[in-house]
Amino acid sequence: MRLFMKRLISQRALVFMTVPFLIWLAIFKYLPLWGWTIAFQNYKPAKGFGDQKWVGLKQFRFMFEDDRFLLVLRNTLAMSLINFVLGFVTAIILALLLNELRNAIFKRFVQTISYLPHFISWVVAATIIQTALSADGGIINIILMNLGLINEPILWLGEGKYFWGIMGASEVWKNIGWNTIIYLAAMTTIDPAQYEAAEMDGASRLQRIWHITLPGLRPVIIVLVIMNLGQILETGFEPQYLLGNGLNVDYSENLEIFILKYGMNLGNYSLSVAAGIFKTVISIILLFSANAIAKRFGQDRLF
Amino acid sequence: MRNKKWLGSAVLATAFAVAITGCSGNNSGGGNNAPAPANEGSANAGNQNAAGGEAEKPAPVTFTYFNATANKDIETNKTMIGKKLEEQTGVNFKQEFLVGDLQTKIGTMIASNEYPDVIQPDAGIDKILDAGAFIPLNDLIDKYGPNIKRVYEPYFNLMKADDGNIYFLPFSPLVGEFKPSPTIDQGAFWIQNRVLKEAGYPQVKTLDQFVKLIEDYTVKHASEDLIGMTTLTHDWRFFATTNPPNHLAGYPNDGGVQVDVNTMEAKVYGDNDGTKRWLKTLNDLNAKGLLDKSSFVDNYDQYLAKLTSGKVLGLFDYGWQVQQAFNTVNKAGNDDLMYFPLPIVFDENTKDQYLDPPSFVNNRGIGITVSAKDPERIIQFFDNLLTDENQKLTRWGIQGETYEVDANGRLYRTPEQIEKLKDNDYSREVGISYFAYYWPMYGGGSTFPDGNAVDPGRQPEVAQASFTDAEKERLAKYNAKTYADLFAAPDDRPWYPAWSIALEQDTPAQIFTVKQTDLQKKYFAKIVLAAPDKFESVWNDYVTEYRKTPVDEYEKTMTEEIKKKVAKIQGTN
Amino acid sequence: MAIAEKSYKRRVPIGDRIFDWFNYAFMICLMIVTVYPFVNMLAVSLNDASDSVKGGIYFWPRELSFDSYKYVFDQGTIVHATFISVMRTVLGTLISTFCSAMIAYAISRPDFVLRKFVTLAFVLTMYFNGGLIPNFLLVRELGLMNSFWVYIIPGIIGVFNIIVIRSFIEGLPDGLMESARIDGAGEFTTFMRIVLPLTLPVLATTSLFTAVYQWNSWFDVFLYNSSNVELSTLQYELMKMLQNSNASGSSIDPAGGFANGSAAANYVTPTSIRATMTIVASLPIIMVYPFLQRYFVKGLTLGGVKG
Repeated sequence: MRLFMKRLISQRALVFMTVPFLIWLAIFKYLPLWGWTIAFQNYKPAKGFGDQKWVGLKQFRFMFEDDRFLLVLRNTLAMSLINFVLGFVTAIILALLLNELRNAIFKRFVQTISYLPHFISWVVAATIIQTALSADGGIINIILMNLGLINEPILWLGEGKYFWGIMGASEVWKNIGWNTIIYLAAMTTIDPAQYEAAEMDGASRLQRIWHITLPGLRPVIIVLVIMNLGQILETGFEPQYLLGNGLNVDYSENLEIFILKYGMNLGNYSLSVAAGIFKTVISIILLFSANAIAKRFGQDRLF
Repeated sequence: MRNKKWLGSAVLATAFAVAITGCSGNNSGGGNNAPAPANEGSANAGNQNAAGGEAEKPAPVTFTYFNATANKDIETNKTMIGKKLEEQTGVNFKQEFLVGDLQTKIGTMIASNEYPDVIQPDAGIDKILDAGAFIPLNDLIDKYGPNIKRVYEPYFNLMKADDGNIYFLPFSPLVGEFKPSPTIDQGAFWIQNRVLKEAGYPQVKTLDQFVKLIEDYTVKHASEDLIGMTTLTHDWRFFATTNPPNHLAGYPNDGGVQVDVNTMEAKVYGDNDGTKRWLKTLNDLNAKGLLDKSSFVDNYDQYLAKLTSGKVLGLFDYGWQVQQAFNTVNKAGNDDLMYFPLPIVFDENTKDQYLDPPSFVNNRGIGITVSAKDPERIIQFFDNLLTDENQKLTRWGIQGETYEVDANGRLYRTPEQIEKLKDNDYSREVGISYFAYYWPMYGGGSTFPDGNAVDPGRQPEVAQASFTDAEKERLAKYNAKTYADLFAAPDDRPWYPAWSIALEQDTPAQIFTVKQTDLQKKYFAKIVLAAPDKFESVWNDYVTEYRKTPVDEYEKTMTEEIKKKVAKIQGTN
Repeated sequence: MAIAEKSYKRRVPIGDRIFDWFNYAFMICLMIVTVYPFVNMLAVSLNDASDSVKGGIYFWPRELSFDSYKYVFDQGTIVHATFISVMRTVLGTLISTFCSAMIAYAISRPDFVLRKFVTLAFVLTMYFNGGLIPNFLLVRELGLMNSFWVYIIPGIIGVFNIIVIRSFIEGLPDGLMESARIDGAGEFTTFMRIVLPLTLPVLATTSLFTAVYQWNSWFDVFLYNSSNVELSTLQYELMKMLQNSNASGSSIDPAGGFANGSAAANYVTPTSIRATMTIVASLPIIMVYPFLQRYFVKGLTLGGVKG
């Protein structure tokens, strides 16, 4: 303990750099956690804290016992995993390809253009996707028909089995450029001397990518994977909600939509908070597992 | 937000329909029976009005008013109507409108226990009442509200909360004789004019006749890429596909139930024979290739685009939902491609009930909050609105500017005035956008003692002024002057509308409303698109699932509430 | 950059050339797909609103009209709201980036005794949220309602950014900071003189993330400053317009009927306003990235060290 205090004092500069923000953290992030008690109540905003009706685990039971809960959870996880894998793979590949472009102006141009869809709201994006997938003159159907791959237009959004794929593709389209930015920044830290040396040794383009660029990105990739894995249930609801319909609902409805319907829309705050707690528990489990695995393999880790 | 479902039909439409009125000129200060505004106000006095020797002016004061609907924020005295009202009363309102989610906004207001002076909470009204945010108005009305009493007294029983107090003033008290809307902003089956024309303007009464007309037309024009029927299913607008069986059976848009006029028994129709019949019709159309198969996938924009394409021959929808598309078709000017509303029913001998009966919506209204600085001044302002003169001012606008009076004393608008009022900015400048609704008012369908409609939208002269010659001719073929003439007059349904019954939070009845929509979204598509020989089995699956929901509790709750409401009303009469 | 690019150019094997062609072709396809939504929004925003209901607007307007832009810019509040948006974006980004970098530096130090505790305390907050009402009450109790600072203080640190910056700092050669300390520099000096300049590429990245977040935020305006026009932001003002157009878009015309021919003078629909809004709101922020790209230059980091 003495030693600890001594080191603490000797590191006072670092302490000053962090402790004020720990206080901020306590106030703005940890203090509002009292709100979690709402999950165990039939919360009415009008009443004071003492007057709320306590209902124990009722909200959780309502959620877990609904006969659609498992289906909804399946959809959430499926779409999340697809996005997770596709999101990483496509962004990294694009970053690598951009890195190989020799014309710097062109490279910047592509970077800027490719991140544009990130700034389009999902409402607008969904309209564009629906138009493209339409059976009445949608571009996707026209292309596939001209290529002779299909004989008549497909109602893409009318078949549940296509939905996850459509979601995955849409997410990639919307966020690939945006997700790439961080890797492009990471690439700047790779020592150019490494490339020169590799070239001297006669390494091919692919070998250079594989042995120099990718390892250079590894720390960032690992940290991002761990962080994002913890957010696997934080899917949002907009694209699923906007592209969902009666025909694909068994594949499109996710946890957030379920909670929205029975929570906010019916004025039941408590259910929304209960769902939030459920998601946090899952997140923390995933986060610690992923971190432990990274540690086991001797890789960089989050904490 | 999403339970706009029935609101959709009625409240929105009424609101929008009404949100279009005029502002007034011939109003010489204060209604005749308005009480002299007391000058005791806590308002910042000292602003002696130099206007001259008239009676002493009340001190000017500005109150805040939060309105949970969308509009542009304004100070009412910046509008022509608001200016006149301020001259009468010295009262000005700073109006803030809703941006973002209503429940969140109301939730944070309640959590902080700070309110604007006046709130129109819309669908958030239950929460506001629960929170005790409104003050009781009983004594204020007694003291300062002779006009409020005159207009609202018949409804006092309905307006009273369980504790016997009145906390807010609804927007739909009927004054004078009831007038239904001459145009169809509500539900109807719509058919393209060219279909009627080619068939020689036949009488179309039943669904079978309607479908037959469309079928015949498509057969004759097989080479033209036509769509027999389409139906709107997107998001909360899905009720355009679930409500038709109710209308076809001769009921008005009463929410999720059909109510027996005699026994007051409420029955859901989601899985009854009518719904089956409606879906069977759609299924047949689909089998014949006459139904737009994208119906269950298209979003609202795509649906509107289809209607403007001129390819769709028929549909069911509510006027206010297809308005945008119809405007665009109109602009193109091809009369053949416009749509004609029809009160279609299942059987020849069913009386159609598409037009809304007089309705008193007792879960929407405007109230004064516990934070209000000077409730007396506010209630006096409200009371002053409820004179015939000021109702004319807030609804019709200013004579010579937004309306005219003919030799017989009938109020009307010229086509130019109608055109000009379509400009939202102009209508805001005049103040119609702000005053025609969401204040204490004579409800839609009310009439002045001289027989003029309070609401210009209900004045036949106004509707006719906007008809083209072709329209007038076509209406004449059906012996009608306005579209409403094609429809049967609404029967008296004292509980109407059942959708305004608030279901208690966290009850099976409330859960049912969500489950029903979910099931219908999923199964209606399947049932309609099923191969005809599979129809029965998919339908049976649906009914099995439907009966697993707490539907009995829902019906029971609705019946009880409807009976309660009727008892309250009849208690007064 | 110069070194790296030159060295590539010496001789280009055939395989590499095929790769290049494929790469260029791919990039062009990618650009077509990703620029389309913007082109489409531009076309819709410039098309007559009532004509747009017909659909089928893809690359260019069918009936050119500036009504939607007129509608948006006639509202008067836009200029001031844009000013507030710029202020919150610039201030919020500068403060947040600086603070995040400082924390990242502290927790990147392997010998820092609070390292693990601080890191975990920050990381965990990414996965929970007390909920709307507690946060609202907190802001109110702190007296941040109706104040500009409510845009800055609650979001002063981005945990995601801290972690990303930290992993960059950890990637810096160990010797650098050691040598600085041997030269007698304190922690703060080391941070300012060595760490900040060396992490410019990642700071540019996190700044971009923060700036976009700040620029696009409207929910905090809605919650805390909605009755204070002076503090309204561009996004919030546009949001209001969109909702107004929703309301008026489906309203019944003054005659109470549909049967009338022409649409009103400044007729707008939610679709046209949304398109206009997308263009107006996103163009300024999109410009930030090309500007920041000059910090994304390869070798800058290490070159700086060597030099």
